[in-house]
Amino acid sequence: MSSSTHILIAVLALGAFFLIVRLVRLKVLKAKYSILWLTVGSGLAIVSAVPQILDWAAERLDIWYQPTLFLLLGIGFLLLLCMHFSYELSRMENRIRTLVEEIALLKEKLEKEN
Amino acid sequence: MKTAAIVPAFNEAESLPDVLQEIKQAFPEHLIVVVDDGSTDGTSEIAKEFGCVCLSMPFNLGIGGALRLGFRYCNEKEIERAYQFDADGQHDPTQISLLLSGLQKADMVIGSRFSEENSYEVGRSRKTAMSFLRFLIRLSTGHKFTDTSSGFRAFNKPVIGLFSEEYPLEYMDSVEAILIAVKNGFNVREIPVQMRERSAGQPSNRNFRLIYYFLRLLIVIFVGSRRKTEGKA
Repeated sequence: MSSSTHILIAVLALGAFFLIVRLVRLKVLKAKYSILWLTVGSGLAIVSAVPQILDWAAERLDIWYQPTLFLLLGIGFLLLLCMHFSYELSRMENRIRTLVEEIALLKEKLEKEN
Repeated sequence: MKTAAIVPAFNEAESLPDVLQEIKQAFPEHLIVVVDDGSTDGTSEIAKEFGCVCLSMPFNLGIGGALRLGFRYCNEKEIERAYQFDADGQHDPTQISLLLSGLQKADMVIGSRFSEENSYEVGRSRKTAMSFLRFLIRLSTGHKFTDTSSGFRAFNKPVIGLFSEEYPLEYMDSVEAILIAVKNGFNVREIPVQMRERSAGQPSNRNFRLIYYFLRLLIVIFVGSRRKTEGKA
Protein backbone atom coordinates (compact mmCIF):
# COMPACT_ATOMS: atom_id res chain seq x y z
CA MET A 1 0.00 0.00 0.00
CA SER A 2 1.17 3.50 -0.73
CA SER A 3 2.06 5.88 2.08
CA SER A 4 -0.77 8.28 1.27
CA THR A 5 -3.24 5.42 1.86
CA HIS A 6 -1.58 4.86 5.24
CA ILE A 7 -2.03 8.43 6.20
CA LEU A 8 -5.67 8.38 5.11
CA ILE A 9 -6.41 5.24 7.13
CA ALA A 10 -4.51 6.59 10.12
CA VAL A 11 -6.46 9.85 10.05
CA LEU A 12 -9.78 8.00 9.71
CA ALA A 13 -8.93 5.62 12.55
CA LEU A 14 -7.93 8.48 14.79
CA GLY A 15 -11.06 10.43 13.91
CA ALA A 16 -13.27 7.41 14.61
CA PHE A 17 -11.54 6.86 17.93
CA PHE A 18 -12.17 10.39 19.14
CA LEU A 19 -15.76 10.35 17.90
CA ILE A 20 -16.47 7.14 19.84
CA VAL A 21 -14.89 8.45 23.02
CA ARG A 22 -16.87 11.65 22.70
CA LEU A 23 -20.16 9.85 22.12
CA VAL A 24 -19.59 7.61 25.13
CA ARG A 25 -18.75 10.58 27.33
CA LEU A 26 -21.91 12.33 26.18
CA LYS A 27 -23.75 9.13 27.15
CA VAL A 28 -25.34 8.84 23.70
CA LEU A 29 -23.64 5.55 22.94
CA LYS A 30 -24.14 2.56 25.17
CA ALA A 31 -20.96 1.09 26.59
CA LYS A 32 -21.40 -2.26 24.84
CA TYR A 33 -21.37 -0.55 21.47
CA SER A 34 -18.48 1.66 22.41
CA ILE A 35 -16.38 -1.43 23.14
CA LEU A 36 -17.29 -2.81 19.73
CA TRP A 37 -16.41 0.36 17.90
CA LEU A 38 -13.26 0.96 19.90
CA THR A 39 -12.11 -2.52 18.93
CA VAL A 40 -12.78 -1.73 15.30
CA GLY A 41 -10.98 1.58 15.67
CA SER A 42 -7.90 -0.01 17.25
CA GLY A 43 -7.88 -2.69 14.55
CA LEU A 44 -7.85 0.00 11.91
CA ALA A 45 -5.12 1.88 13.73
CA ILE A 46 -2.93 -1.23 13.97
CA VAL A 47 -3.37 -2.04 10.31
CA SER A 48 -2.55 1.48 9.27
CA ALA A 49 0.52 1.61 11.52
CA VAL A 50 1.86 -1.81 10.50
CA PRO A 51 0.51 -2.52 7.02
CA GLN A 52 2.78 -5.54 6.76
CA ILE A 53 0.26 -7.45 8.86
CA LEU A 54 -2.31 -7.14 6.11
CA ASP A 55 0.20 -8.09 3.42
CA TRP A 56 1.35 -11.10 5.42
CA ALA A 57 -2.20 -12.30 6.10
CA ALA A 58 -3.20 -11.86 2.47
CA GLU A 59 -0.21 -13.86 1.36
CA ARG A 60 -1.05 -16.71 3.73
CA LEU A 61 -4.60 -16.77 2.36
CA ASP A 62 -3.41 -16.70 -1.27
CA ILE A 63 -4.96 -13.32 -1.90
CA TRP A 64 -2.96 -11.55 -4.62
CA TYR A 65 -4.34 -8.11 -4.19
CA GLN A 66 -3.98 -7.31 -0.49
CA PRO A 67 -6.71 -4.64 -0.08
CA THR A 68 -9.24 -7.32 -1.05
CA LEU A 69 -8.68 -8.93 2.32
CA PHE A 70 -9.36 -5.65 4.03
CA LEU A 71 -12.61 -5.15 2.07
CA LEU A 72 -13.68 -8.74 2.67
CA LEU A 73 -13.23 -8.41 6.41
CA GLY A 74 -14.95 -5.04 6.41
CA ILE A 75 -18.00 -6.25 4.53
CA GLY A 76 -18.23 -9.41 6.62
CA PHE A 77 -18.11 -7.35 9.79
CA LEU A 78 -20.79 -4.96 8.55
CA LEU A 79 -23.11 -7.81 7.59
CA LEU A 80 -22.75 -9.37 11.01
CA LEU A 81 -23.42 -6.05 12.61
CA CYS A 82 -26.57 -5.54 10.53
CA MET A 83 -27.82 -8.94 11.59
CA HIS A 84 -27.18 -8.08 15.19
CA PHE A 85 -29.12 -4.85 14.82
CA SER A 86 -32.05 -6.67 13.21
CA TYR A 87 -32.08 -8.99 16.17
CA GLU A 88 -31.97 -6.13 18.63
CA LEU A 89 -34.71 -4.28 16.76
CA SER A 90 -37.03 -7.30 16.80
CA ARG A 91 -36.44 -7.75 20.47
CA MET A 92 -37.11 -4.10 21.20
CA GLU A 93 -40.29 -4.16 19.12
CA ASN A 94 -41.54 -7.13 21.12
CA ARG A 95 -40.70 -5.41 24.36
CA ILE A 96 -42.52 -2.25 23.30
CA ARG A 97 -45.60 -4.27 22.42
CA THR A 98 -45.56 -5.99 25.76
CA LEU A 99 -45.24 -2.61 27.46
CA VAL A 100 -48.15 -1.23 25.49
CA GLU A 101 -50.26 -4.20 26.57
CA GLU A 102 -49.28 -3.66 30.15
CA ILE A 103 -50.10 0.04 29.99
CA ALA A 104 -53.55 -0.66 28.56
CA LEU A 105 -54.28 -3.25 31.25
CA LEU A 106 -53.10 -0.93 34.03
CA LYS A 107 -55.11 1.98 32.64
CA GLU A 108 -58.24 -0.14 32.67
CA LYS A 109 -57.61 -1.25 36.24
CA LEU A 110 -57.01 2.31 37.35
CA GLU A 111 -60.16 3.65 35.72
CA LYS A 112 -62.22 0.93 37.32
CA GLU A 113 -60.92 1.78 40.77
CA ASN A 114 -61.70 5.46 40.45
CA MET B 1 -69.70 -20.23 32.22
CA LYS B 2 -67.75 -16.98 32.04
CA THR B 3 -67.88 -15.84 28.44
CA ALA B 4 -66.26 -12.79 26.87
CA ALA B 5 -66.50 -11.05 23.54
CA ILE B 6 -63.23 -9.60 22.29
CA VAL B 7 -63.92 -6.66 20.00
CA PRO B 8 -60.80 -5.14 18.42
CA ALA B 9 -61.56 -1.63 17.21
CA PHE B 10 -59.50 0.90 15.31
CA ASN B 11 -61.44 4.07 14.52
CA GLU B 12 -64.80 2.34 14.49
CA ALA B 13 -66.83 5.00 16.30
CA GLU B 14 -69.40 4.89 13.52
CA SER B 15 -70.30 1.22 13.64
CA LEU B 16 -69.31 0.33 17.20
CA PRO B 17 -72.47 1.54 19.03
CA ASP B 18 -74.75 -0.73 17.00
CA VAL B 19 -72.42 -3.68 17.40
CA LEU B 20 -72.16 -3.28 21.19
CA GLN B 21 -75.89 -2.68 21.50
CA GLU B 22 -76.64 -5.86 19.60
CA ILE B 23 -74.27 -8.06 21.60
CA LYS B 24 -75.56 -6.65 24.89
CA GLN B 25 -79.13 -7.23 23.89
CA ALA B 26 -78.55 -10.78 22.76
CA PHE B 27 -76.17 -11.81 25.56
CA PRO B 28 -76.37 -9.48 28.57
CA GLU B 29 -74.31 -11.95 30.62
CA HIS B 30 -71.30 -11.79 28.30
CA LEU B 31 -68.37 -9.60 29.24
CA ILE B 32 -67.56 -7.33 26.31
CA VAL B 33 -63.90 -6.41 26.00
CA VAL B 34 -63.28 -3.62 23.50
CA VAL B 35 -59.64 -3.27 22.57
CA ASP B 36 -59.12 0.24 21.26
CA ASP B 37 -56.11 0.02 18.97
CA GLY B 38 -55.01 3.63 19.26
CA SER B 39 -58.17 5.16 17.80
CA THR B 40 -58.48 8.91 17.41
CA ASP B 41 -62.22 9.13 16.89
CA GLY B 42 -63.51 8.48 20.40
CA THR B 43 -63.91 4.74 20.02
CA SER B 44 -62.93 4.10 23.62
CA GLU B 45 -65.43 6.68 24.94
CA ILE B 46 -68.20 4.79 23.18
CA ALA B 47 -67.03 1.52 24.69
CA LYS B 48 -67.08 3.07 28.17
CA GLU B 49 -70.53 4.57 27.60
CA PHE B 50 -71.83 1.10 26.95
CA GLY B 51 -70.24 -0.13 30.15
CA CYS B 52 -67.81 -2.41 28.37
CA VAL B 53 -64.31 -3.19 29.49
CA CYS B 54 -62.17 -0.88 27.42
CA LEU B 55 -58.48 -1.56 26.91
CA SER B 56 -57.01 1.39 25.10
CA MET B 57 -53.54 1.26 23.64
CA PRO B 58 -51.49 4.43 23.38
CA PHE B 59 -50.82 3.88 19.67
CA ASN B 60 -51.86 1.60 16.86
CA LEU B 61 -50.37 -1.87 17.00
CA GLY B 62 -52.48 -3.59 14.38
CA ILE B 63 -55.20 -6.16 14.84
CA GLY B 64 -52.81 -8.89 15.98
CA GLY B 65 -51.56 -6.78 18.86
CA ALA B 66 -55.08 -5.77 19.82
CA LEU B 67 -56.25 -9.37 19.87
CA ARG B 68 -53.30 -10.55 21.91
CA LEU B 69 -54.12 -7.91 24.50
CA GLY B 70 -57.73 -9.10 24.52
CA PHE B 71 -56.60 -12.67 25.10
CA ARG B 72 -54.24 -11.56 27.81
CA TYR B 73 -57.05 -9.77 29.62
CA CYS B 74 -59.34 -12.80 29.32
CA ASN B 75 -56.57 -15.05 30.56
CA GLU B 76 -55.97 -12.88 33.61
CA LYS B 77 -59.69 -12.75 34.40
CA GLU B 78 -59.95 -16.52 34.00
CA ILE B 79 -62.57 -16.32 31.28
CA GLU B 80 -63.63 -19.81 30.26
CA ARG B 81 -64.54 -19.11 26.67
CA ALA B 82 -64.17 -16.11 24.42
CA TYR B 83 -65.16 -15.12 20.95
CA GLN B 84 -63.72 -12.60 18.57
CA PHE B 85 -66.19 -10.17 17.07
CA ASP B 86 -65.49 -7.45 14.51
CA ALA B 87 -66.42 -3.86 15.31
CA ASP B 88 -67.31 -3.00 11.73
CA GLY B 89 -70.68 -4.71 11.85
CA GLN B 90 -69.96 -7.53 9.45
CA HIS B 91 -70.61 -10.22 12.04
CA ASP B 92 -74.12 -11.22 12.96
CA PRO B 93 -74.82 -11.53 16.72
CA THR B 94 -77.50 -14.12 16.07
CA GLN B 95 -74.70 -16.47 15.02
CA ILE B 96 -72.81 -16.23 18.31
CA SER B 97 -74.54 -19.12 20.06
CA LEU B 98 -73.98 -21.27 17.00
CA LEU B 99 -70.28 -20.42 17.13
CA LEU B 100 -70.01 -21.07 20.87
CA SER B 101 -71.80 -24.40 20.59
CA GLY B 102 -68.95 -25.53 18.37
CA LEU B 103 -66.64 -25.36 21.40
CA GLN B 104 -68.24 -28.53 22.76
CA LYS B 105 -66.38 -30.50 20.14
CA ALA B 106 -63.34 -28.31 19.47
CA ASP B 107 -60.86 -26.00 21.19
CA MET B 108 -61.17 -23.28 18.61
CA VAL B 109 -64.08 -22.63 16.25
CA ILE B 110 -63.94 -20.54 13.10
CA GLY B 111 -67.16 -19.13 11.74
CA SER B 112 -66.71 -19.54 8.02
CA ARG B 113 -68.43 -17.37 5.49
CA PHE B 114 -67.59 -19.50 2.49
CA SER B 115 -70.22 -22.12 2.71
CA GLU B 116 -73.06 -23.21 0.51
CA GLU B 117 -75.70 -21.53 2.56
CA ASN B 118 -74.70 -17.95 1.99
CA SER B 119 -73.55 -15.93 -0.93
CA TYR B 120 -70.74 -13.61 0.00
CA GLU B 121 -69.01 -12.20 -3.05
CA VAL B 122 -65.27 -11.53 -2.98
CA GLY B 123 -62.89 -10.19 -5.60
CA ARG B 124 -61.00 -12.50 -7.92
CA SER B 125 -57.44 -11.79 -6.84
CA ARG B 126 -58.42 -12.17 -3.25
CA LYS B 127 -60.13 -15.42 -4.10
CA THR B 128 -57.03 -16.79 -5.82
CA ALA B 129 -54.86 -15.67 -2.94
CA MET B 130 -57.12 -17.34 -0.45
CA SER B 131 -57.26 -20.64 -2.28
CA PHE B 132 -53.47 -20.67 -2.32
CA LEU B 133 -53.45 -20.00 1.40
CA ARG B 134 -55.92 -22.79 1.99
CA PHE B 135 -53.64 -25.11 0.09
CA LEU B 136 -50.62 -24.10 2.16
CA ILE B 137 -52.48 -24.53 5.39
CA ARG B 138 -53.76 -27.91 4.34
CA LEU B 139 -50.22 -28.85 3.48
CA SER B 140 -48.84 -27.87 6.85
CA THR B 141 -51.66 -28.84 9.17
CA GLY B 142 -53.32 -31.69 7.32
CA HIS B 143 -56.68 -30.00 7.87
CA LYS B 144 -58.91 -28.29 5.39
CA PHE B 145 -60.14 -24.78 6.07
CA THR B 146 -62.34 -22.85 3.71
CA ASP B 147 -62.19 -19.40 5.31
CA THR B 148 -58.85 -18.81 6.93
CA SER B 149 -59.23 -15.06 7.27
CA SER B 150 -62.54 -15.05 9.07
CA GLY B 151 -62.39 -12.95 12.23
CA PHE B 152 -65.46 -14.60 13.72
CA ARG B 153 -63.94 -17.16 16.06
CA ALA B 154 -64.47 -18.76 19.44
CA PHE B 155 -61.83 -20.12 21.80
CA ASN B 156 -61.82 -22.25 24.93
CA LYS B 157 -59.70 -21.56 28.00
CA PRO B 158 -56.50 -23.37 26.99
CA VAL B 159 -56.48 -21.62 23.61
CA ILE B 160 -57.02 -18.25 25.30
CA GLY B 161 -53.98 -19.08 27.43
CA LEU B 162 -51.91 -19.94 24.39
CA PHE B 163 -52.91 -16.85 22.44
CA SER B 164 -52.37 -14.53 25.38
CA GLU B 165 -48.68 -15.17 24.82
CA GLU B 166 -48.32 -16.51 21.32
CA TYR B 167 -50.85 -14.66 19.23
CA PRO B 168 -49.14 -13.59 15.99
CA LEU B 169 -48.64 -9.85 15.91
CA GLU B 170 -47.97 -9.24 12.27
CA TYR B 171 -50.24 -8.88 9.30
CA MET B 172 -52.15 -12.04 8.35
CA ASP B 173 -52.44 -12.97 12.00
CA SER B 174 -55.69 -14.83 11.36
CA VAL B 175 -53.99 -17.46 9.23
CA GLU B 176 -50.97 -17.77 11.46
CA ALA B 177 -53.20 -18.17 14.50
CA ILE B 178 -54.75 -21.30 12.99
CA LEU B 179 -51.29 -22.72 12.35
CA ILE B 180 -50.14 -22.00 15.88
CA ALA B 181 -53.24 -23.56 17.43
CA VAL B 182 -52.98 -26.69 15.30
CA LYS B 183 -49.26 -27.05 15.92
CA ASN B 184 -49.85 -26.82 19.64
CA GLY B 185 -52.15 -29.80 19.43
CA PHE B 186 -55.50 -28.01 19.58
CA ASN B 187 -58.53 -29.13 17.67
CA VAL B 188 -59.58 -26.34 15.31
CA ARG B 189 -62.95 -26.64 13.59
CA GLU B 190 -64.79 -24.60 11.09
CA ILE B 191 -68.53 -24.11 11.05
CA PRO B 192 -70.64 -22.28 8.46
CA VAL B 193 -72.19 -19.00 9.62
CA GLN B 194 -74.18 -16.16 8.09
CA MET B 195 -72.35 -12.89 7.68
CA ARG B 196 -73.33 -9.42 6.63
CA GLU B 197 -71.68 -7.13 4.16
CA ARG B 198 -69.25 -4.73 5.76
CA SER B 199 -71.15 -1.69 6.94
CA ALA B 200 -68.15 0.59 7.16
CA GLY B 201 -64.47 0.55 6.42
CA GLN B 202 -62.33 -1.13 3.80
CA PRO B 203 -61.45 -4.81 3.62
CA SER B 204 -58.03 -5.11 5.15
CA ASN B 205 -56.47 -7.30 2.46
CA ARG B 206 -54.74 -5.44 -0.33
CA ASN B 207 -53.22 -7.01 -3.39
CA PHE B 208 -49.79 -5.45 -3.23
CA ARG B 209 -49.25 -6.87 0.19
CA LEU B 210 -50.10 -10.40 -0.84
CA ILE B 211 -46.63 -11.32 -2.05
CA TYR B 212 -45.10 -10.19 1.20
CA TYR B 213 -47.77 -12.19 2.99
CA PHE B 214 -47.04 -15.37 1.23
CA LEU B 215 -43.32 -15.15 1.71
CA ARG B 216 -43.81 -14.59 5.40
CA LEU B 217 -46.33 -17.38 5.70
CA LEU B 218 -44.09 -19.75 3.82
CA ILE B 219 -41.40 -18.98 6.33
CA VAL B 220 -43.79 -19.47 9.21
CA ILE B 221 -45.02 -22.76 7.79
CA PHE B 222 -41.74 -24.29 6.82
CA VAL B 223 -39.31 -22.91 9.34
CA GLY B 224 -41.58 -24.05 12.13
CA SER B 225 -44.06 -22.03 14.05
CA ARG B 226 -43.11 -22.65 17.65
CA ARG B 227 -41.61 -19.24 17.96
CA LYS B 228 -40.80 -17.71 21.26
CA THR B 229 -42.57 -14.54 22.20
CA GLU B 230 -40.78 -11.81 24.07
CA GLY B 231 -42.58 -11.55 27.44
CA LYS B 232 -40.48 -14.42 28.69
CA ALA B 233 -37.26 -13.27 27.00
